[in-house]
Amino acid sequence: MNIIVCIKRVPLTQEVDLEVDERGTDIRKDALAYVINDWDNYAIEEAVRLQEEFGGTVTAVCVGHEDDEEVLRRALAMGADRAIRVEPGNRELDGFVVSRILAKTLRDLEYDLILTGVQSDDHNAGMVGIMLAEELGLCHAAVVTGVEPRGDEALIRVELEGGVDEVSRIRLPALLTIQTGINEPRYVSIMGIRKARKKELSVINVEDMGLSEEDLTPQTVVEEVSLPPETEGAEMIEGDPSAVAGRIIQIIRERGVNI
Amino acid sequence: MLMLHPAYQTYMGVPGLVFAWAIFLAGLSLFSFLIYRRWLPIRSGAADPRFDSWWKRLCGLFTYGILQKRQPRYLWAGVIHIMIFWGFLILGLRSIDLVTQGLGIPILRPLMETRFGPLYSTLRDLFELIVLGACVWAILRRALIRPERYRGSHQFEAYLVLGLISFLMLTDMLYEGSAFLIDRPEQMPWLPASELGALVLQGSDHGFLTVAHTAGYWLHIVAFFFFLNFLPLGKHFHIITALPNLFFRRLSRGSIKPARWDVKDMDDLDRIGVENIGDFTWKHILDFYTCTECGRCSDNCPANAIGRPLSPKTLTIKLRDHCFETVPLLGLKQGEPGEDEPESMVGEIISGDEIWSCTTCGACEEECPVFIEYIDKIVDMRRHLIETSQNPKTFNQVLMHVEKTGNPFGKPPSKRADWIEETGAGPVRILKKGDRTDVLFFVDGYGSYDPAAQSMARSIVAGFHAAGVDFAILGPLERDSGHQVRRMGEEGLFQLLIEENMETLSQISFQRIVTCDPHAFNTLKNDYPGTLPVMHYTEFFAELVENHSLRPQGPLDGEDVYTYHDPCYLGRHNGIYRAPRKILRSIPGLKLVEMERSQDRSFCCGGGDVMLWHEIEQEEMRMAEVRIQMAREAGANNIITACPFCFIHFEDAIKTGGLEDEMRVVDLMGLVVST
Ligand code: SF4
Ligand code: SF4
Repeated sequence: MNIIVCIKRVPLTQEVDLEVDERGTDIRKDALAYVINDWDNYAIEEAVRLQEEFGGTVTAVCVGHEDDEEVLRRALAMGADRAIRVEPGNRELDGFVVSRILAKTLRDLEYDLILTGVQSDDHNAGMVGIMLAEELGLCHAAVVTGVEPRGDEALIRVELEGGVDEVSRIRLPALLTIQTGINEPRYVSIMGIRKARKKELSVINVEDMGLSEEDLTPQTVVEEVSLPPETEGAEMIEGDPSAVAGRIIQIIRERGVNI
Repeated sequence: MLMLHPAYQTYMGVPGLVFAWAIFLAGLSLFSFLIYRRWLPIRSGAADPRFDSWWKRLCGLFTYGILQKRQPRYLWAGVIHIMIFWGFLILGLRSIDLVTQGLGIPILRPLMETRFGPLYSTLRDLFELIVLGACVWAILRRALIRPERYRGSHQFEAYLVLGLISFLMLTDMLYEGSAFLIDRPEQMPWLPASELGALVLQGSDHGFLTVAHTAGYWLHIVAFFFFLNFLPLGKHFHIITALPNLFFRRLSRGSIKPARWDVKDMDDLDRIGVENIGDFTWKHILDFYTCTECGRCSDNCPANAIGRPLSPKTLTIKLRDHCFETVPLLGLKQGEPGEDEPESMVGEIISGDEIWSCTTCGACEEECPVFIEYIDKIVDMRRHLIETSQNPKTFNQVLMHVEKTGNPFGKPPSKRADWIEETGAGPVRILKKGDRTDVLFFVDGYGSYDPAAQSMARSIVAGFHAAGVDFAILGPLERDSGHQVRRMGEEGLFQLLIEENMETLSQISFQRIVTCDPHAFNTLKNDYPGTLPVMHYTEFFAELVENHSLRPQGPLDGEDVYTYHDPCYLGRHNGIYRAPRKILRSIPGLKLVEMERSQDRSFCCGGGDVMLWHEIEQEEMRMAEVRIQMAREAGANNIITACPFCFIHFEDAIKTGGLEDEMRVVDLMGLVVST
């Protein structure tokens, strides 16, 4: 079973006081630490587990700059066999362009399964996986929480609204966007990542791929990025633990959660 | 009446000398073979440089080996052991004398015929009785008192060996006692054991006495060689290996061994850590041979005390048994440990939970009379677990955060100095590259971001201000010291942190580093390359108290009773017991009591690494709860500590135990500045 995983590097934003940049269309990222997109981490783990069980190869692909190779090395350390980075140069990227670039990259590769994360931590659009599947003409499923290959099909579990699970069969090759919690991603040590340098990592320049100008033109334009206004609404709950717990339950119920 | 030496008599026409030589050669060849087989795993063990500082090693050998300094930490067991050990030294000569007499090459005779002879005979007899008494005592202790720490040890073997030693004493008494009755020399020194033998045999006829004399001799010789060959088979191997093990003991403190001693660049290593018995260093294998199964380590191990699945003694016993199985005495395996082992060592014989249960507190190593090492072995096994992704999943994020943000919380480095404002610590200079300062205050991750630890950092700053010290912090330039990640087994990440911190330190000029956290202090001092001029704040302020630059003023009302908890990485690992007490004693009116387990027997609070992020399910109670209990038993209602992790653990234990009204945890520096 040959699997391709598309991954991305995103800024670590927890605990950071985000600032909007001068143009007002993005946040300032210069002082941020970058990590693998959480969903993609689960996707790699799933691919490596499937490969460990059923054989085949795992290829990790990332559209990004040289710094982004770090997440590819991580994927290699986790067990991927090879990695491809597509260098976009100074082009502006959105979900559409990335999906077109990926489609072009993957078109000639052999695969039974393409995995991506459901969404990325930074833009949360959740578009790339599905657009990529459409472009490649593949069956696809989103928010997948379980995969079990059966011959030329796979049994997949999908999370629906309200926590309902749906199990269905999908014809291979297919594209699945992987939800967090599908597995427990393994830790890869710093030494493991360093050793993964011996594995193959090839770089393709987007300009050499023969993509049309239309493919490379973003379809989304960000007008403005702003921080949410600070709101009132924090309630300090005081009292002994059981009273506090009682009040919390009450609040949760009031907001419409059934417990 | 002339009495012929038993070896010169003939037995059914065969001269005794033949038997003596036969026993000697058989005994010695078997012994050489056994030692050779035991040598094989040592030979193929990993490198471990222990051949430096000969003088220091010899001194230690004398104090801990000959004088047995650590034995009386358990008083009566220690006394018994010292008696038997010294007896062995003295009676060893006797055995050599007896054996060589039988071989017809009595090399010791000339010596025994000098004035030394009678003196030695008296001493020998005295020790025969002492050893015999000690053995009987030891047997009774084991059988009647049954100290808890012997549980899981090879009890039968212990009885067998005690019996065998007694047998050696008795046969010699029989031999000498019968000789007395047959042919009492005119002049003789005081020989209590022989007299006792004679007393027992009194009234026997000559024939019986000769038989007793002959039998006494041969039984002694046979028992001697049996004993010798029995030693390498089990825990009594320590009789042979203890002295070498003490000589090669670890001289440095507080540090963790590198991934491999003989490979400088970790990139050259295919595997990191210990997975199989053959991955241990030769000295660590010698440790397995040397363990006496006395159980002192486990008796002091806090993980063991609270029911975690770790007992250092059992760990060693299991590893020794495994080592013996891997390279059996007889068998086809040609002494290459690590090849096609049926059961994997880390994971099956030693479980992950066992390995993660250790807090690296060092209580076991401090107690072990033969200096068996645990922390390095455990960390080496952790390294294997980390490198093969078998670590507890809760570590993933923590380690990723340390890598990406330089602290375990994943908080941005740019906020690393925010505690100054948040706690209102007053003016603190934040260093930039190229700056200079007298004292560089290394705050570390917890001091920078954790609210409880932040308040400790604030108190230290107040102390600096009060004493007029020129100090500054690294702020956003600082990365975690890496003490935790190294002990969690993430060696690659630790090396990365060293690199980054050393790079920063090299661009700043400072006189010394002062840390808030004993762990950071320990790792900067003992794990970092070179010798950084680093002090823990208790040492630094103790000096200031001594030269009166810092004077706690406002006297305490004397109503509260305080006790000081020695943090493992300040006390045991670095020997700093006096400095914090000196500061405390300078506070007027402070009532200080000591807990029973204090100083080098301090009981770990729960630890500053693995336990912060991983819970061992089997534990019955938290270490901190046990410790709080100990403080209460000492009559204290305040427990003082000088470590952020102890503080956090104790605070937690007091809350969960509902003891807020009876017990309080106090940070040492906080107490000082409040006065
Ligand atoms: S270092 Fe402490 S916790 Fe670890 S085995 Fe030794 S005594 Fe037990
Ligand atoms: S390791 Fe040391 S303290 Fe522990 S049982 Fe063995 S000899 Fe005794």
